[in-house]
Amino acid sequence: MRRLYVGGLSHTVTQKDLKDRFGKFGEVEDVELRTRTDEEGVPYKTFSYININISDADLKKCLTVLNKSKWKGGTLQIETAKESFLDRLAEEREAAEEQRQQPRVVEDKRQKMLDSLSKAGVENFTMKAAVPGTEVPGHKDWVVSKFGRVLPVLQLQGQKGSKARTLKYDPSKYSHNIRRLDRTAEDQPTPVTQLTWEVQGGDDDISKKRRGEFPPFEPSRPKKSRTDKVNSHNAVGQTRLKQSVNSVNHREIYPLTNGYEPPTNHRPAQRKEVRYPGSDVDSDEEIRRMVAAQDSSRFTLGRKEEDEDNLEVVGLDYLVRAGRKDDEGENDYDSADTDELLASKKPPLTSTQERLTPPTENHLSGNDTDRRKKKKKTRTAGEEEESSAKAEDQLTSRKPSSEQQREDSGKKSSQGQSEKIVVIPVVEAPHSESDSDEDEEEEEDEDEEELDLANDSDSDSDYDAMFANVTHLEISLADLQRIAEESEQTSETTTPSIPGSSSEQEHKPKSASAPKKGTTPEEILASIMAEDSSEDEQTMRKKKKKRKAAMSMPLPAFQGTKTLNKESELEDSQRRHEGEEEGGEEVKKQKLDSEAPQLNLHETDSKTTRMTREAGRETTESSEEEEEEEEEGKTEEEQEDEEEEEKEDKKEVVKDKDAQGVGNTEKTEPDSSSSSDEDDDEEEEEGEVTKTGPSVLTKAAAKASPSSSTSSSGEDEDKLVSAKVAAKAAPPPAHQSESSSSSSSSSSSEEEEEEERPAPLHRVPLGAKEEEERQREANMRRLAAVQQRQKETEEHKKLIQGALANLDGPAAGGGKHIVFGSDDDDDDDEEEKQQVTLGVTASKKTLFQDSQSEEEATDDEAAANKEGGEKGKVHLKPSVSQLFSGSEDEEDGDEEEDSSRFDIRPQFEGRAGQKLMELQSRFGTDERFRMDSRFLEDDNKEEEPEKKTSVDDEALEEERKKNLSILQSVLGSSQQTSSSKTSVKAKTFRDVSALHYDPSKEEHAAFETKTEETKESKAARRRKREEAQKLPEVSKEIYYDVSGDLKAVFGASKDEVTEEEEKPNWDQEEEEEEEEEEEGDPKNEQSTLLSSLLSADQSAEKDESSGFKFSFFGDETETESKQTEEYKVESIQAPKVSWQQDPRFHDSSSEEDEEEQEEDETQSSITAKTAEEETPSNNHRFFFFLEDSRLTEGPRLFCRPAHLEEQREQWEERRTALRQEYRKKHKDARKKVKSSQKS
Amino acid sequence: MRPLTEEETKTMFEKLSKYIGENIKLLVDRPDGTYCFRLQNDRVYYMSEKILKLATNISRDKLVSVGTCFGKFTKTNKFRLHITALDFLAPYAKFKVWVKPGAEQSFLYGNHVLKSGLGRITENTQQYQGVVVYSMADVPLGFGVAAKNTQECRRVDPMSIVVFHQADVGEFIRNEDTLT
Repeated sequence: MRRLYVGGLSHTVTQKDLKDRFGKFGEVEDVELRTRTDEEGVPYKTFSYININISDADLKKCLTVLNKSKWKGGTLQIETAKESFLDRLAEEREAAEEQRQQPRVVEDKRQKMLDSLSKAGVENFTMKAAVPGTEVPGHKDWVVSKFGRVLPVLQLQGQKGSKARTLKYDPSKYSHNIRRLDRTAEDQPTPVTQLTWEVQGGDDDISKKRRGEFPPFEPSRPKKSRTDKVNSHNAVGQTRLKQSVNSVNHREIYPLTNGYEPPTNHRPAQRKEVRYPGSDVDSDEEIRRMVAAQDSSRFTLGRKEEDEDNLEVVGLDYLVRAGRKDDEGENDYDSADTDELLASKKPPLTSTQERLTPPTENHLSGNDTDRRKKKKKTRTAGEEEESSAKAEDQLTSRKPSSEQQREDSGKKSSQGQSEKIVVIPVVEAPHSESDSDEDEEEEEDEDEEELDLANDSDSDSDYDAMFANVTHLEISLADLQRIAEESEQTSETTTPSIPGSSSEQEHKPKSASAPKKGTTPEEILASIMAEDSSEDEQTMRKKKKKRKAAMSMPLPAFQGTKTLNKESELEDSQRRHEGEEEGGEEVKKQKLDSEAPQLNLHETDSKTTRMTREAGRETTESSEEEEEEEEEGKTEEEQEDEEEEEKEDKKEVVKDKDAQGVGNTEKTEPDSSSSSDEDDDEEEEEGEVTKTGPSVLTKAAAKASPSSSTSSSGEDEDKLVSAKVAAKAAPPPAHQSESSSSSSSSSSSEEEEEEERPAPLHRVPLGAKEEEERQREANMRRLAAVQQRQKETEEHKKLIQGALANLDGPAAGGGKHIVFGSDDDDDDDEEEKQQVTLGVTASKKTLFQDSQSEEEATDDEAAANKEGGEKGKVHLKPSVSQLFSGSEDEEDGDEEEDSSRFDIRPQFEGRAGQKLMELQSRFGTDERFRMDSRFLEDDNKEEEPEKKTSVDDEALEEERKKNLSILQSVLGSSQQTSSSKTSVKAKTFRDVSALHYDPSKEEHAAFETKTEETKESKAARRRKREEAQKLPEVSKEIYYDVSGDLKAVFGASKDEVTEEEEKPNWDQEEEEEEEEEEEGDPKNEQSTLLSSLLSADQSAEKDESSGFKFSFFGDETETESKQTEEYKVESIQAPKVSWQQDPRFHDSSSEEDEEEQEEDETQSSITAKTAEEETPSNNHRFFFFLEDSRLTEGPRLFCRPAHLEEQREQWEERRTALRQEYRKKHKDARKKVKSSQKS
Repeated sequence: MRPLTEEETKTMFEKLSKYIGENIKLLVDRPDGTYCFRLQNDRVYYMSEKILKLATNISRDKLVSVGTCFGKFTKTNKFRLHITALDFLAPYAKFKVWVKPGAEQSFLYGNHVLKSGLGRITENTQQYQGVVVYSMADVPLGFGVAAKNTQECRRVDPMSIVVFHQADVGEFIRNEDTLT
């Protein structure tokens, strides 16, 4: 296979094209099309690499045919290319892999040998208690010699001279020749690295080097010139010393390296680096050095050189961002401290350091930051952080005590004591429990509240929300990691230390984040399985189970309850038996029970152990295991017991349902009823638990206490949850006590854990089919429940929102002041509570459905997981939605308020209002002291002094004006423009060349009118013509009047006559008139036009003098005025003023026209319009403009351009030329004729 | 304390306009109140009307400073800008020069800005145009006069002066006794 480079392709070439084109020569495997584009994305170069299976001949052919051929507008350039680097890399890697594998085989062999030897009883090449000189059993070639040393039988190659090719060395013969050299030391080979000896020496560099302490590598050598380079080149293989000698002149720059480098070291390097580009560098080494130097310089050098080149030039509108200093990224722009300046010669802080610090920070700050970050992801509300933190605090504060207690108990291991110690938190619970379920729980809640002061519903729910999406499996994982360390520390102690528990919390968040990897438990499971630890875990679990089975340490209390519940299942009964047996061992149980509150700790223990296993710290683990074996035997089993209790609870429920479902063949029980059943069951259980002897009682207490802790906040929902939790899960308490605020989430997560574990247990009793069925059922129910819950939550949300909106409405409307009183808040709270209760009642059903379904869906972990999340949400919803909706509503309200807040309220408007405001502000916003306008004094008095002050103001104002005027003078024109804004209208200068018609501008409407008029004029022209035909009679009379005046103006009667005659002609026939005019004396015409021009000029001058009006259409108006003038001669009837005499007449008329034009758009008078409309028509009719070329050219037509003589001469010249030409042609013709005749 | 004469106002405005151009108008004609310039001890103070009124209670010889000193008139009746005006001029400055952190100190010690210390410059800066000198962190450091226009600044060698020093915030310390 070959790789071809094909260049000079056009951009339109596709891979297929190439494939087709090169397919003729060989099999194209791969086409790699590359297009280079410039910054604007315009391709300027296209080439491709083609992997092609091609023979050499074909390749030649291909090259000859295609190379430099034109194809699609490009000249192909084909060359063979190197193999793709990826392929090469792959090959290399393969080769490396092979290489690596080969020695392994050898090693394997050796290993095998050793193994076999060791099997035979050889240890470290010594075989104890073996007769010297005997073979090692199973190994012919190995002989035991003296001291039990095993020696191989060797085949030695003989020397060249000797006869025997090989010598066999049989150690059995020489076995007694062995001598032990070192009797004391075992012959353990010391690794080479440990073969050390000390080198004496001082602090000078030579001795340092002897000791192997070399100074850090210096990337570049100083080189000033070529010769130097040569020197250095020569010196490459030589000692550094010599080199330095060679470059003596640079010595101060590159001193002999001794351990420490002068701080200024980099500077010269930089200097040299700058020099580098100049000198031509060829050798690889030098290039490398250069690169290294550049690299180093980039870090170490001051950026002087660099910066000098990139001097920034910014536009006038460059935005100054003041106070950007704090920006981390802008560090290099910070103002230099003196220290910095001093240190500027030293290498700046390496960025690596900076980079390093954040992680360490993270590390130091603990997992908190991490956790928080992760939390944020999962968190729904911002307050959660606080709450969680609080919870943590609580926990940490709380834990220690319990831990201590526990430790004490662990040490003493006396039941009574432990009981005493441990019970404290628990004691109250049992008593209360006996009273009534609900009340008891409430009481417990209260108790717990006392304990956990900082808990509130929000935190609870938030925490729930946080953990809603969390799979507990991962929690355990995360915990394990951390606890592994602690377990190491505390491996000696039988009980894990307190930090474990407190730290566990910190890890929880981590775990919270973890689920992102795998949201479904299956995934998580898989991930766990992937880890080595999982196996250990599993084995551990199995072990536990085994142990459990062997020791028959089941769930005494719960089995009791079970029995009370009258569960009739073989398994259960068996367990019950076991439980009863256990019951016999009440002592143990009691102890366990007493430890119940510490369950969490035990859990952590288990976790730690698990962790250690995971972490692969087998040694610690083993020791721990051994040590903890007993403990775990109790604790873990205890946990498991509890968990199993839960499971079994669930199982019971499930089984109940199953039994019912199967027995009654009812597909689904009404969820609510079942849930209530469940509830009842649970309650019953609890009640029964209380009955079942003291041990059970304690357990129940243990159970209850955690539950109470979970429901630390007195909210109803929490209670419900806690009830459920208490009934369902004993272990959750552990977590809940840890995360005292988290109730449901932890429980759900717990459930997951449980579900993991119980799975096998369940499988034993239940058939796979049954399970499947159950799963399906559970799934169905769960989905339905989820839907319902969603609906309800939405409704609930709406309700709350509505309620809150109503709340906020009046507050926003009526609240001119922000009242921070407690009333509103209370109201809110009440509202919220109501909402909560509502929500709870609403979600009650679903809740229990969930639990039910969850319980059923033991195997469907995903489902369960979801459920957990959902449940958490449900719990959350009431509070969270409140939070959100509330906040939203508030925000909404706030927005409204905000928008109106900064408006000046009507009562504060004006000066009086200002005063009122001041008055009010004196008393703050307290309603009671609100100042009304009544409190305002009359302003009349105060206004007088103001008048006085106003005098001063006036003075200031004057000064200001003066200043401004001076400023104008100082600044000149630029200022004038701004100052003259008031008189803009009077003076407008319009640059004609720069003026463009802009339809969007009103001013430019003036331009539009003309085009319209010209359009109109077509239609109007006929009318006018008709009118004009009629008019003459009338006009004649006027005309005479006018003519008299004209006479006066022009003074030439002839002109008058001509005009007189012409006028009627125009009206009748335009063309004739044209001719006539042309034929007629144009000079007259010119004179009149000139006069009009003059007048126009005058008017223009006038304009300039008066208002300096120089506008784009000013010219046209002037021309128009001239044109109109001609026409108006007719239309204007008997002007009173002798307008011809008045030179300003045209001016005035033009002005009028201007006005008309300007007013044209704004409904000017009709007459004016008609007049204007006529002007264009006139324009058309009247052919002579001011600078009409015809007027200048016309007259010339009538006279000879040149003298007659000249013309004659010209003609003579021409004639001669013509003659010659003719003669020539004639000759040619003749020749042609002749030639034709000849031929 | 007296208002400035026309001549004085002119010289002062001419000077100010070198730095902020027509933006002086924003100083004179402020929307947030009446502000004015007053001369006291050859120094020009910029103050609000309110302060002006308050200051009237203090006799001239006892009045050390009022409002913000913009600068002073030399004996030859030239106006010299003081660094105290920086707060008012910097926001309106039209032409700016940013000095590199390394050159900051040099400038703040009263030295001119060399090309090597020039980090950034407003385009189209003319020669002898008044500029406000900023640090690269956009902190105004003082006033200067462009010794070269922008194009020249690109070309000149690193040691040549590009901005002449006029006033810098270091004067707050160096000339503490005379700055009012």
